Amino acid sequence: MATALSFRKALSAPPTVRTLASGVPSAPLVNLSVRSPAGHGHGHHGAVGPRSDLPAKFAGSVSLSTSSGLVSRSFTGAQTSGVTQHRLLHTTAVVKDAPNVPNFEPYQAKSSDNNRALSYFMIGSLGVLSASVAKSTVTEFLASMSASADVLALAKVEVELASIPEGKNAIIKWRGKPVFIRHRTQSEVEEARSTDWKSLRDPESDESRAKKPEWLVMLGVCTHLGCVPIGEAGDFGGWFCPCHGSHYDISGRIRKGPAPLNLEVPQYDFTEGDEKLIIG
Amino acid sequence: MSFANTFYNALVKRNSVYVTSIFAGAFAFGVSFDLGVSSFWDNWNKGKQWKDLRAKYVQDEE
Amino acid sequence: MLSRLPASSLQSLRLSANAHSSSLLTTTVRNVSRVRYVSSNSGASSGAKSFLDSRVTLASATLFAVGSVAWYTHLYGSLPFFGEVHANSPAEEGLHPQPYPWSHNGLFDSFDHASIRRGYQVYREVCAACHSLDRIAWRNLVGVSHTADEGKALAEEVEYEDGPNDQGEMFQRPGKLSDYMPPPYPNEEAARAGNGGALPPDLSLIVKARHGGPDYIFSLLTGYVDPPAGFEIREGMNYNPYFPGNAISMARVLFDGLVEYDDGTPATTSQMAKDVTTFLNWASEPEHDERKKAGLKAVILFSALTAISLYIKRFKWSVIKSRKIIYNPPADKTHH
Repeated sequence: MATALSFRKALSAPPTVRTLASGVPSAPLVNLSVRSPAGHGHGHHGAVGPRSDLPAKFAGSVSLSTSSGLVSRSFTGAQTSGVTQHRLLHTTAVVKDAPNVPNFEPYQAKSSDNNRALSYFMIGSLGVLSASVAKSTVTEFLASMSASADVLALAKVEVELASIPEGKNAIIKWRGKPVFIRHRTQSEVEEARSTDWKSLRDPESDESRAKKPEWLVMLGVCTHLGCVPIGEAGDFGGWFCPCHGSHYDISGRIRKGPAPLNLEVPQYDFTEGDEKLIIG
Repeated sequence: MSFANTFYNALVKRNSVYVTSIFAGAFAFGVSFDLGVSSFWDNWNKGKQWKDLRAKYVQDEE
Repeated sequence: MLSRLPASSLQSLRLSANAHSSSLLTTTVRNVSRVRYVSSNSGASSGAKSFLDSRVTLASATLFAVGSVAWYTHLYGSLPFFGEVHANSPAEEGLHPQPYPWSHNGLFDSFDHASIRRGYQVYREVCAACHSLDRIAWRNLVGVSHTADEGKALAEEVEYEDGPNDQGEMFQRPGKLSDYMPPPYPNEEAARAGNGGALPPDLSLIVKARHGGPDYIFSLLTGYVDPPAGFEIREGMNYNPYFPGNAISMARVLFDGLVEYDDGTPATTSQMAKDVTTFLNWASEPEHDERKKAGLKAVILFSALTAISLYIKRFKWSVIKSRKIIYNPPADKTHH
């Protein structure tokens, strides 16, 4: 029971505590390590470990001296800087609820309805702008894949119709392929229109192939293997492909030989007054 | 206050309406923004662009 | 060595030695040099401190520094403290052209298309005798300075070689809108032979390709003067202070009244130089008008997006930034 005895002795120490420069509280002659005796008190069984509010072992020790009774020492690893504070017990600042946390009340919204509407409006605006920008980006990107202006400029060809006499062929180049333009005579038109086209290999009427009966416009590429047929030749008075012997009639329809389809008709139009033919 | 609530109840309350109105708004905004910038541009560059000059040369030929 | 230190430092040395010895005696109550109370911040010093620490001070100091450097650079043309070494003398680089108030200078300014049309006329009647314009097709003029019919008529004035025809021979045909502007010489050698060994450059990108851009072209066209005394100039060369090296093969070509504009503008030398420079600037940057328009849209849209994004960032973070974390220590159950 030496501890209990010395505890009582130590109570005569001056109630002064100071903080060392290292931050360790120094309370000479106050024995902070004293624990309440085991079994004393009520409601709990035995001592429960070291007290959590005591300084660590390295910070001090308690010893019993014959001359001065119980002595408590505080050790400090750091040298004092020369400026120390005397903090008397009663100078401890009042413990605030949450010190150093500012008061946010001035920032709180005045009206929660307005605040909610504004927030949703701003988020909606961001959505509107982003969607608009994204749409433009995608459109422009896709537009960059379309044909460029110089290609488009070559995509149309104008032909002076007056330069092609009746009963003659003209061959022009259009997008790298030959285009046959035939100024048909009246008898050729009648021949093309009177043919029983429903029994042909690729049944097509002449009316659907020529917009104006006297002008026949076709791509000059054999539908078999892509040779260029010869005009005014073959068994049917139209075109004849020298490669494998396909015969086309005066409407460009396949009549004999290996080709499976009629000669292709490109998109074309006549200008007003029938002066020019625009292919493409 | 009441306008805020009207806005909230009309557009925001149902997410489907909110998202739809955002996309519709994006479409309308895209068109009107284009128009607005173009009209500012044409106004700023009045008399300098080809469309301001074109009438002169087309009429000259006829 | 100690004698070279100021007296005050010696004093502080002694003081700290004192403190050292006294710190060994933990029970000694030492004299303190300063007593700190809980509210130890005095008003006056906090004002000065907050001025030095504040963001506004930092921002304005940065702005001031950047502004001074920018101002210096603008004034003297080079960064301060960074010397520049030039291999050429100013004469060899050519006189720096003066900035001119082009009608398309501003952020929102389109080209003056009437000027482009006049400039095309000057190019066709004057420059095209020696200079090619390879990258401009007739169709490029349509909707910029000429109508489609005018463009076709201009193109048809020129014969182009096409073919081969069905006999395998090349043939001549009138030009179409898709044809490019005809070069004055068939090849570089012919161009050099016709110009005393100097090659007239292609003008398609000349405004972009020369330092000073349109200012340089305008200054060059209008800057022909007599050579100063002592400047040797070879036969067939001309003196132009704006041209690097000052001796240029091209003679002065623009004289008052050289062309007759169809819109009645008086064809002075500077008017023609301005028009042809505008035309060449358009040839270099045909996308110029659309580019500025798209840029205007992009700047508006992205500024708005940035501003709203910042708002929404603050909105999303406000919950986190304004929360309080409070620690409630558990009740000590060892004592009652």
